[in-house]
Amino acid sequence: MAIITGKAWVAKNYVMSFDMILQKYWTSPINPAENAKWVMAGVSEEFNRENAFIEAGYTFIIAGHNFAGGGKSIEHCVTGLIGAGIQAVFATSFARLQFRNAINYGLPFITSKDINLSCETGDVLEYDSDSGTIKNLSNGKVFSSVPVAPFVAEVAASGGLMNFIRQKMADGTIHELH
Amino acid sequence: MGMTITEKIMAFNSGRSSVVPGQLVWANVHTVMTMDYLGKQCFSAFESLSAEKKLFDKERVICVSDHLVPPPTEQFATMLNEWRETVRKYDIPYFYDLGRQGIAHQLMVEQGHVLPGKVSIGTDSHANTYGAVGAMGNAIGVTDAAIAMATGKCWFRVPESVKFVVRGEWQPWVMAKDLSLHIMGMMHWNGHLIYKALEFAGPAIESLGIAGRMTLCNMTVDLGAKNGIIAPDDTTIEFLRPVQKGEWEMLQSDADAHYDAIYEVDVTNVGPTISLPDKLDDVVPVEKLIGTKFNKAFVGTCTNGRTEDFAIMASILKDKQIHRNVNMVCIPASQAVYLECIQKGYFETLIKAGAAIETPSCGPCAGIHTGVAGDGDIILSAGNRNMKGRMGSKNAKIYLTSPAVVAASAIRGEITDPRSENW
Repeated sequence: MAIITGKAWVAKNYVMSFDMILQKYWTSPINPAENAKWVMAGVSEEFNRENAFIEAGYTFIIAGHNFAGGGKSIEHCVTGLIGAGIQAVFATSFARLQFRNAINYGLPFITSKDINLSCETGDVLEYDSDSGTIKNLSNGKVFSSVPVAPFVAEVAASGGLMNFIRQKMADGTIHELH
Repeated sequence: MGMTITEKIMAFNSGRSSVVPGQLVWANVHTVMTMDYLGKQCFSAFESLSAEKKLFDKERVICVSDHLVPPPTEQFATMLNEWRETVRKYDIPYFYDLGRQGIAHQLMVEQGHVLPGKVSIGTDSHANTYGAVGAMGNAIGVTDAAIAMATGKCWFRVPESVKFVVRGEWQPWVMAKDLSLHIMGMMHWNGHLIYKALEFAGPAIESLGIAGRMTLCNMTVDLGAKNGIIAPDDTTIEFLRPVQKGEWEMLQSDADAHYDAIYEVDVTNVGPTISLPDKLDDVVPVEKLIGTKFNKAFVGTCTNGRTEDFAIMASILKDKQIHRNVNMVCIPASQAVYLECIQKGYFETLIKAGAAIETPSCGPCAGIHTGVAGDGDIILSAGNRNMKGRMGSKNAKIYLTSPAVVAASAIRGEITDPRSENW
């Protein structure tokens, strides 16, 4: 994956984990297709309907400070976005628990300064994961982003941390991790 | 360059002599905790890792039933049965199920599963609590738990450290919760402390018991921090000696360790403090809310459900009556706390005053059971979160404060400064 293109949804306010996945779904099994059905239901009224976020067809999310904050360890926030077809989230900062979950599932959570101020919902963006450049093809603006750490890229290339560890357990190199 | 206590824990548990913030390490985990509603998923993910399905150490995989017990619905009862079946399959010795239950974070510390200088992780955000005994306590998701269960390892980005030096004298009826909320007001909910290691030090911290230290470290997750930590001292040793499970290391930060910021707090100036409904960092001194009426009072949770919390309530409510317009629910954080509060007479005092005592669980804090909020409720709570809908209805208001403020206010049915009377 070097360059990906998609349509962005821009969050107006803080996006909190407990709004991304409503309380009644915290005990649901992890399953991207299922978790996606009600993802973002509490973030915006327009998504408070079954399949609403999936049907909206966005493949990027743009947000401000502390995306997915509020201190929930549930992975449904990330699997729900994956199930809804989100390819990457660009935000000025991320909350650590979901940042960690995103890395573990290989979903790019990309930190980019001020990106939330210069994009509109529906804009088409192009992200180059090698250079970290994000281009807004709808208005011509270009943003830089924090490069993806080698470990994070390696996990994503393995198809997530579970696969990364499975390979290391299978080939006997698991004890080399330190 | 010296290292902070968090940096030392990251270094020494990953086979290094030193680390720097931003570095990625795979650290050895002392214990991994999971609980009822996520536990089965952790074991399923763990089983998918290899054909051997072998736990790294079954004595260091701690299983707890806390969110769903006793089950309020058939759905949760069935989930619990599946959870029990999973845990039994692996013959987990430390399974704290209904009857021996408690809130996971309370049990992890109380039962000695968390040790100074070691790393412990759990699938619940308030795992930050473990810093109270000088451990690195970290919340993780199902994936990380499953991998740690198989390998005894977890990846970490070494966090930058920020230090709070707390001096001065604790004022009467002022508790660690008040300091916690005060700092929340200073630094903001999920504000610029995102991802930092928060270290609490200074004479006013050293004078705190383990219960207060747990409250303080517990709420660092809501500052957005990666962990909260207090260096172990004689208080820690005295607490851990009877319950210890394994060796520990009395690590301290070096004098020349680097901090991104150091904040000085004079606790003499911290009074009873309240967080206004919906947003944790809308924090005001109790004086601003005197006379505010409420109809429900709640004390419990991993933040304030310990013996010390009920002791202070009992000293206020002794021979008093809770106002008839207030329903109070108290939930001890574990069976050990429950028993101690019975033996010391605290619960007798609270029951005589008109409080309902529930069996240990997370209770209504996560909006699940034993006293959830309905439309129009105004709740004075000693819990940890007050966003809309946290305890049930989105049309309820939650004021967060200390157990002392809840107790004093419950008598009048309106917010009261516990310093206003000689209880």
